[in-house]
Amino acid sequence: MSFGLELRKVKRTGFLPAFLGGGILAAAVPVLNMAFRSEIYVGINAAPVNILLNANWQIMSMFNILLVVVGACIMYNTEYAEGAIQKMCTLPTKESTMFFGKIAVLIAVSILLLLIETISVFGCSVHWFEVSADLYMETLKSFGFFLLLMLPTVFCALLIASLSKNMWIGLGIGVMCVFAATMIPSQNFVLTLFPFALPFQTLENHTADVIRNYAAAGAVETVLIALLEIMILKVRRSFE
Amino acid sequence: MNIIETQNLTKSYGKFTAVSEINLHVPKGTVYGFLGPNGAGKSTAMKMFLGLTKPTGGAFVINGKQFPGDRVQILKEVGSFIEAPAFYGNLTGEENLDIIRRILGLPKSSVSEALEIVGLTQYRKRLAKKYSLGMKQRLGLAGALIGKPPILILDEPTNGLDPVGIHEIRALIRSLPQQFECTVFVSSHLLSEIELMADNIGILNHGRLLFEGTLDTLKSSAASMGYPTDNLEDTFFALIDADNRQRGGVR
Ligand SMILES: Nc1ncnc2c1ncn2[C@@H]1O[C@H](COP(=O)(O)OP(=O)(O)OP(=O)(O)O)[C@@H](O)[C@H]1O
Ligand SMILES: [Mg+2]
Repeated sequence: MSFGLELRKVKRTGFLPAFLGGGILAAAVPVLNMAFRSEIYVGINAAPVNILLNANWQIMSMFNILLVVVGACIMYNTEYAEGAIQKMCTLPTKESTMFFGKIAVLIAVSILLLLIETISVFGCSVHWFEVSADLYMETLKSFGFFLLLMLPTVFCALLIASLSKNMWIGLGIGVMCVFAATMIPSQNFVLTLFPFALPFQTLENHTADVIRNYAAAGAVETVLIALLEIMILKVRRSFE
Repeated sequence: MNIIETQNLTKSYGKFTAVSEINLHVPKGTVYGFLGPNGAGKSTAMKMFLGLTKPTGGAFVINGKQFPGDRVQILKEVGSFIEAPAFYGNLTGEENLDIIRRILGLPKSSVSEALEIVGLTQYRKRLAKKYSLGMKQRLGLAGALIGKPPILILDEPTNGLDPVGIHEIRALIRSLPQQFECTVFVSSHLLSEIELMADNIGILNHGRLLFEGTLDTLKSSAASMGYPTDNLEDTFFALIDADNRQRGGVR
C-alpha cells in the first residue's frame, strides 16, 4: 500500500530511469574490462566470480551507493519542494509509514541494480572463464551478501535526505559520506562498518567468521538507523 | 454541541507567545470565522489542531477526541488547507488528489467530484507545478474537500483567487453545512468576507482572543463600547487598534 503510494510520488522525477541507466552503466564495467583486458584476468588461479569482483566491484559499488544517495534525495525533494509533506502530515497516516514506504521503494530499486550487475558478472564468468558447477551458488550468495550490506546505506541515505528541506544539503552530505567511505582502508574491520563503506565488501575476500560479522553488523546498523529515524520524527514535531 | 473546543490553548516560540490561552467554541454544523491581522496566530492555532505543531500549554477537543492520543482518528474526520497550497509539483492535479484519496481510503469517484467542486476538471491532467496561483489554491481546497469530511479547517481559502473564484468559494463554504452537514473553521483577514460566510466569529490579535460570538453580538457590543458599527471593517479596525493601544509598547 505505502510502497505503491511512494512509487507513484516519484513519477516524472527521473528516479526509475536513473536507477535503470546507472545499473546498466555499472553492469558494463566488468564487460568492458574483460573485453579490453581479458588476458590479465583469465590466467589468474581463482574462482571467476572472485576475479571479476576483485577487478570491478569497487567501481560498481561506488555507482550503487551514489545512486542510492541521489535516489533518496529525489524522493524527499518531491515532498519538500512544494510542501506536499505538510499535507501528508495532516492526513491519517504516520510520517514513519512514509519513511518505510520510501525505504521499500529504495530497496526494490537496489535489488534491480544488483540484479542487473549480478547478471553481468555471471555472463562474464560464463563467457570468459571455464564454468564450474558451483558458479550459480556462488553468484547467488554474492548477490545476497551485497543486498544485505546495501541496507545500512539505503537507510542512512534516506535518513539524511529526510532531515533537510533543501535537497542540496542532503545531497552534499550524502556525497561527502560516499567519498569518505572510499578513503576507508578495506582491511580495517571497524572502519568499514561505516554505513556507506559496507557495500564495498565482497564475499570472496573474507573468511566465514568475518562474513558473519559483516552480516550481523549490516543487520544491526539497519535496525539502529531505523530507530534513530523514528526518534527524529518524534522529536522534530515539538520544534516546529 | 461544540465540535471544536479549546481550553487555554497556548503556543510559545521561546519567549514569544504566538497563541495565548485562547478558549474557542465552534458549534457543530456551523461556519466559524477566525479573524485577525497578519501574525495574529490564526495559522498557528490551526496547525495545532492538525498536529503540525505541538501546543506549549492548554488542550483542545475535536469531535470528542483529544490530541495526541486520537491523532489519526481526528485527522480522518478533518479536511484541511493551511497557509500555502501543498502538493507534489511533479504530479498532475488529478494524481495529487489520487494520493490523498488512497491514504483516506475513499472511492475512485471522489477525485473527480473534488475536481468538479473547485472547477479544476478541465486542468486535471496538467502538472501541479505548472498551475497558476489560483489553480494551486483550488487544488489545495480540493485536497481539503475530498471525501466530504465532517470538519473542515481552511486557512485563508480565498487567497490568490480572482473575484469570480472568491465568490464561488465563499458560496461553497456557506453552503457546506447544509449540503454535507459539516462544520467549517475558516480564517480570514477581512471581516467583510467572514460576514458573508460565518455564523460565529472569533477575533484574534497578538495571539489573544478579543471577541467570540455571533455577528449581531459583535455589533451590539461594539456599539456599547462606542466603536463605529455602520461599516464592519471599521469596527474590526477599531477593536484591533484599541487592543494594540491598551498593550502599549509591551506587545
Ligand atoms: N516556527 C516559528 N518560530 C517562531 N515564530 C513563529 C513560528 N511560526 C510562527 N511564528 C510567529 O507566530 C506568530 C503568528 O503566526 P501565524 O502564522 O499564526 O499568523 P497568522 O495569524 O496566520 O498571520 P497571517 O494572517 O499573516 O497568515 C507570528 O508572529 C509568527 O512570526
Ligand atoms: Mg496565516
